[in-house]
Amino acid sequence: MTKTKLFALMGASTLGLMMTANAVYAQQSGYLSFLIDNGPQSVAVAEAWVAAYTEKNPDVTIDIEVRPGGGEGDNIVKTRLATGAMADVFFYNSGSLFQALNPAQNLLPLTGEAFQANVQDSFKSVVSAGGEVYGAPFAPAMGGGIFYNKPIYEELGLEIPKTWDEFMANNEKIKAAGKTAVIQTYGETWTSQVIVLADFFNVLAEDPQFAEQFTANEAKFATTPAALRSFEKLQEVHDADLFNADFGAATYPDGLRMVAMGEGAHYPMLTFGIGAIAETVPDHIQDVGFFALPGDSADKNGLTTWMPDSIYVAKTTASPDLAKDFVSFVASPEGCDIRNEAVGATGPYMIAGCELPADVPPAVSDMLPYFQEGGQNAPALEFLSPVKGPALEQITVEVGSGIRPAAEGAALYDEDVRKQAQQLGLAGW
Amino acid sequence: MRSRGSIIGGVAAIAATFVVFVIPFLFIILMAFKDKQQSALRDFSWPNGFHLWDNLYEVVKTRNWMMITAFINSSLITVVSVTLLIVLAAMVGFVLARRKTRWNGLIEFLILAGLMIPPAVVPTIWLLQGLKLFGTLHGMILIQVAYNLPFSIILYRAFIATIPRELDEAAVIDGARPLDVFFRIILPLLWPVTVTNIVVQSVGIFNDFTNPLYYLPGNQNATVQLTLYNFQSQFSTAYNLLFTNIMLITIPPLIVFMFFNRQIVAGMTAGAVKG
Repeated sequence: MTKTKLFALMGASTLGLMMTANAVYAQQSGYLSFLIDNGPQSVAVAEAWVAAYTEKNPDVTIDIEVRPGGGEGDNIVKTRLATGAMADVFFYNSGSLFQALNPAQNLLPLTGEAFQANVQDSFKSVVSAGGEVYGAPFAPAMGGGIFYNKPIYEELGLEIPKTWDEFMANNEKIKAAGKTAVIQTYGETWTSQVIVLADFFNVLAEDPQFAEQFTANEAKFATTPAALRSFEKLQEVHDADLFNADFGAATYPDGLRMVAMGEGAHYPMLTFGIGAIAETVPDHIQDVGFFALPGDSADKNGLTTWMPDSIYVAKTTASPDLAKDFVSFVASPEGCDIRNEAVGATGPYMIAGCELPADVPPAVSDMLPYFQEGGQNAPALEFLSPVKGPALEQITVEVGSGIRPAAEGAALYDEDVRKQAQQLGLAGW
Repeated sequence: MRSRGSIIGGVAAIAATFVVFVIPFLFIILMAFKDKQQSALRDFSWPNGFHLWDNLYEVVKTRNWMMITAFINSSLITVVSVTLLIVLAAMVGFVLARRKTRWNGLIEFLILAGLMIPPAVVPTIWLLQGLKLFGTLHGMILIQVAYNLPFSIILYRAFIATIPRELDEAAVIDGARPLDVFFRIILPLLWPVTVTNIVVQSVGIFNDFTNPLYYLPGNQNATVQLTLYNFQSQFSTAYNLLFTNIMLITIPPLIVFMFFNRQIVAGMTAGAVKG
């Protein structure tokens, strides 16, 4: 205990000496603390990065510390930032949760770093505040759509649906064959939002101005037909009686297991689920495919994407140069290769020069065409607008369980976002 | 002779106890024997194969043998803070019960306030940082003592009121100094309520999750409850390892309970007689 602290002190002071003596030396030395969330992928990949980095820079010590995820994790990160006890480098969400960290006050800007030239602009926009960029992506992009069970599709001779009608027709065939067509897992309420949120590409395809108008309180879910469709789709799958019998109590791990083992045909989810499938049912990872949530027209078929989490440097760090160097290592093509090796690939990277290995799981390769030439994708609403109501998951549970009709649910959600928009002090609310 | 009704009632009570207390424990043990795939089903089934040793080894060695550090830290925090709590609470309770001054009302109000007002995290951390105690085991111990002191004082004060004042006077006449009166006469008489305090507070402190999470950052400061988060995360959980971990960290409180089992009930009722 005291030994590590002593070492930290010694490291920090030697770093200071070295920096004044010869700043040209590329090799780094010193001590960093590194706070990560406790997802199995985060732990594995962080350990791999630290091992690779300290091998290149033997004088550096990096101490990994693990925190819980979810609401408890948010509290820890905010508490430690507020009290100046934050680790030098840490993982956290991008987008609206990042904005809640008060970046200008708590984080070190990384705008001028060389590695930012390779980072895609769409990612930079979700880790920027007040004209400065604060983060670097440490994970691949994610898509929201539908996992499907390939053996069931082969057995029943089904095609990947390009429109919502084709999707519902597939569901009817699967139901007629005596199988569960759509898996829902309301035991964990956040999973209920996926159909509505992942439909956002289709909303934008119909109504490209929706995000700006929604932020400015000019467009509403209940009164914009394209946006209301998202809620109606959820109601339609419920009304067609396609769900697994225990949809009210099943949990997210259950849903992944069911779609992988063929206990159900479709599971609407974000693609980060691939990692968990590879972890719990590795024998069935080849049985899971993926497609975007279909819209009403086959020409406008595209994927709603989620930006990956980001790695940040705390403003209170004692060794900012070392921290920046470590971040640029993580956000380099070399860092991506280490990630591929440690946890496998779960989607395309946001960094130019990062390659995916040839043998990615089918659900990942199904996702790639949406990102390549001729493919279409659009970010989820939460990356285009700061307005996201806190009660969406409760509302979608109600709509998905048939307790509340879609139109009423959409209207209730419009009420829900009003409170949040007013708290943010947006104009027009 | 016992009536048929009371026998049925007794059997029903035993069955209910079994369902409420024993089945969850059996579930934990069964889960600890399973491999990852089977444990992900989370059903009440017989394990396919014997995986307990693998799970145990995996749990203990994860994150650079964090479990061992955690057990040492938790034991230290629990033992030291419970000891401090008992000595301090008994002293305060003794003085409050024996010496009537016009400050008593205010002091009792402050003690109650300690029970009622929830502590705020960020100002407490600032205070600890100012005292250079943040992120240290002794800082954590002081926090546990401070948070749990009011409850212990209330238990002791009620019990000391039942000890006749003549005992103190007899000791003073025999030449005992104030500290002798407390440590040699009163404290031994407080044994039943001390046992209650030991059991309630040590289980509470050993099982505390949120306070170490916020006040004791750092790998070298891990406590046992925090090790649970090595295997449980927002989107994916290794249930076999999680339950093996739960089983391991349930053992110390279980031992405390078995050790003090007989005295607990006596202590509970003793403190409750007169207030």
